[in-house]
Amino acid sequence: MWMPRETPSLAEILADARVWKLKDASATPSRPVWSTGLRALDARLPGGGWPTASLVEVLLETTGLGEIQLFLPALLACQQGADGEIPWMVWIAPPYEPYAPALVQQGIDLNRLLVVRPASATEALWAAEQALNSGACAAVMLWLQGSDERWLRRLKLAAEAGGALCVLFRPDRHRFESSPASVRLLLGRGERAHAAGEPTLELVKVQGGRPGPVEFSDSR
Amino acid sequence: MKARAADLKTADLFADQGNVAPLPSAVKTPPLTAAVSLRGSAPPLPTERPRPKQLWYAVVFSDLPDLDASAMWQRLCLCASRFTPLVSIEMPNALLLEIKGSVHLFGSVEALHAAIDAAWRPHARKAQSATAPTPLAALWLARAGQRVCIEDPHLLAGGLAGLPLACTCWNLEWLQTLRSMGVTRVGELLRLPRAGVARRLSPGAVRDLDMALARQPAPRRAFIPRERFRQSLDFETEVETVVYLQKALEPLIEHCARFLLRRQAGVQVLELRLRHRLIAMTRVRVGLAGITSDPRRLQDVLTQRLTRLELPAAVRGMELRSGTLLPLSSDSLDAFAGARRNGRLGDMAPQLVERLRARLGSKAVYGIAPIPEHRPECAWQRVHEPGRGYNVQVGDMPRPVWLLEAPLLLAADAEQLSHQGLILAQGPERIESGWWDGLDVMRDYYRARDPHGAQWWVFQERRTRSWYLHGVFA
Repeated sequence: MWMPRETPSLAEILADARVWKLKDASATPSRPVWSTGLRALDARLPGGGWPTASLVEVLLETTGLGEIQLFLPALLACQQGADGEIPWMVWIAPPYEPYAPALVQQGIDLNRLLVVRPASATEALWAAEQALNSGACAAVMLWLQGSDERWLRRLKLAAEAGGALCVLFRPDRHRFESSPASVRLLLGRGERAHAAGEPTLELVKVQGGRPGPVEFSDSR
Repeated sequence: MKARAADLKTADLFADQGNVAPLPSAVKTPPLTAAVSLRGSAPPLPTERPRPKQLWYAVVFSDLPDLDASAMWQRLCLCASRFTPLVSIEMPNALLLEIKGSVHLFGSVEALHAAIDAAWRPHARKAQSATAPTPLAALWLARAGQRVCIEDPHLLAGGLAGLPLACTCWNLEWLQTLRSMGVTRVGELLRLPRAGVARRLSPGAVRDLDMALARQPAPRRAFIPRERFRQSLDFETEVETVVYLQKALEPLIEHCARFLLRRQAGVQVLELRLRHRLIAMTRVRVGLAGITSDPRRLQDVLTQRLTRLELPAAVRGMELRSGTLLPLSSDSLDAFAGARRNGRLGDMAPQLVERLRARLGSKAVYGIAPIPEHRPECAWQRVHEPGRGYNVQVGDMPRPVWLLEAPLLLAADAEQLSHQGLILAQGPERIESGWWDGLDVMRDYYRARDPHGAQWWVFQERRTRSWYLHGVFA
């Protein structure tokens, strides 16, 4: 005999884990956020900064557009570990050699920095997942050329489970592929005609926020 | 009977109070216990007894088949280390154990003595043992075959008095001199003036007597087990896949961990040898970031290393060998370390490093540290052991986050440079250094901005006037 199912109440629907509440997410992020150092960008991100336990993807048109500067406040903040233990940060497959004197100048504790040079993209992703799962790292920065959505999803899950910030740098040609990252940011070259020659900044995807270009110049 | 009376007298001379307890199962009653039985009716209060600082158990083996073989000593010492950490070998045929710390665990000295005696049974049929506050006294008593237990240092002189001088194992010359003087027992020697003994025999003899009577400390060299884990496994059929090897490795690692745990030790290096039918064996060596005996960690690292391995041929058998055993730190022995896992970053970072190294190779994972040096390419180094505290002061001139491996030629002169649209934003910083080692540089560094907004670190070589890119500010 067919029984009509009871219509679930709104509260029941909202209690379902599969339902994601957009407005709540933007209003009260469950974890602390780290500032980006750019006021205009902070204002556009839910909670006012980089989300800690998640995947952030930065699409780069070229190296040297200030991409490390965007994460420097976050890297410094994550080294202010609680109860005296300084968490580690891991840089996987960086495009050039990270220059130790510059990082010391910026205030990064190099005793807690690990550089990993994997032979292939799969190994790089594996290393990133290991670092996130280890629980010893607060931030993992990964430079990647290829794309594999299944792996990126694993990275995101690992970052969420480990409570660490995972930053993925990829060339901007991956812009139109789907990605599980909670924030996707495009750093592009400024126009030659542009007087200041500033790079351009565009939020491609923000969970709990509004995508669109961000004004770079007036916000520092 | 005459000898007994003499013994009694010596015992009276040297022993003042307390008693020498004969062991319950002592076969022959040593003569000195005559004094004991006379006084034994009124034992003194325990508080009056001076507590000895050390208690030595000595055992002398008289019928071991291959006592010179080091393997035999290893086995005996390991057997002894169940009772005490301080085991010392007395060549050619005796062992000394410091057992003061273990008495409480076994209830009494007698019980401990009996327990240690029982431990030799599988190894040697004839073992004579004795316990005394000094190693030499215990050794002499054991050699004389007196199975006694002396706890009070004041009773030593009385306890040793009846022993024949032969049990000191002094050289024959001394013993003959003493015999010609009519001295055959330790007690008689003790009654002689010290200066005379030192002159006629040697100061060494007086020192030995002092050590035996606890008048002088008698340090002993402790036995340190030098052993490794080694176990092999033969397969019934030849194995061609790594996955099966990983599975077969589990019991070996389990054994290895148990082996380490029993010795309170850990390893830092493991070697797995894979035997093939025709070609030479494959050796897989893994290094760990820290000393460990944790089976999960050992398994994990070996598994990661094996996934990277390409088998040259089918495997017929394998052998797991540990490196040198190293003492575990107190952290690794902590029973609650697992429960606090989430809070202890210090423990997990080395594990992460060794996992990554096991799969990616040892050189692919490193830390970086600055070096106080003016030449930019020499001002940093790779560090194999990250996190070891490298503190170097750096200057405050701008430095880029990325440094190119070698400077890249941009332009032959300033005109070409401006054609490329580069704007020199900051500088110059003149760096001239290194004339002494042939790698001298004469450069003017600038912070430049390219038309698209990227920030570069460029320099002009002052001799050739050409421009190079050396770093990227990111």
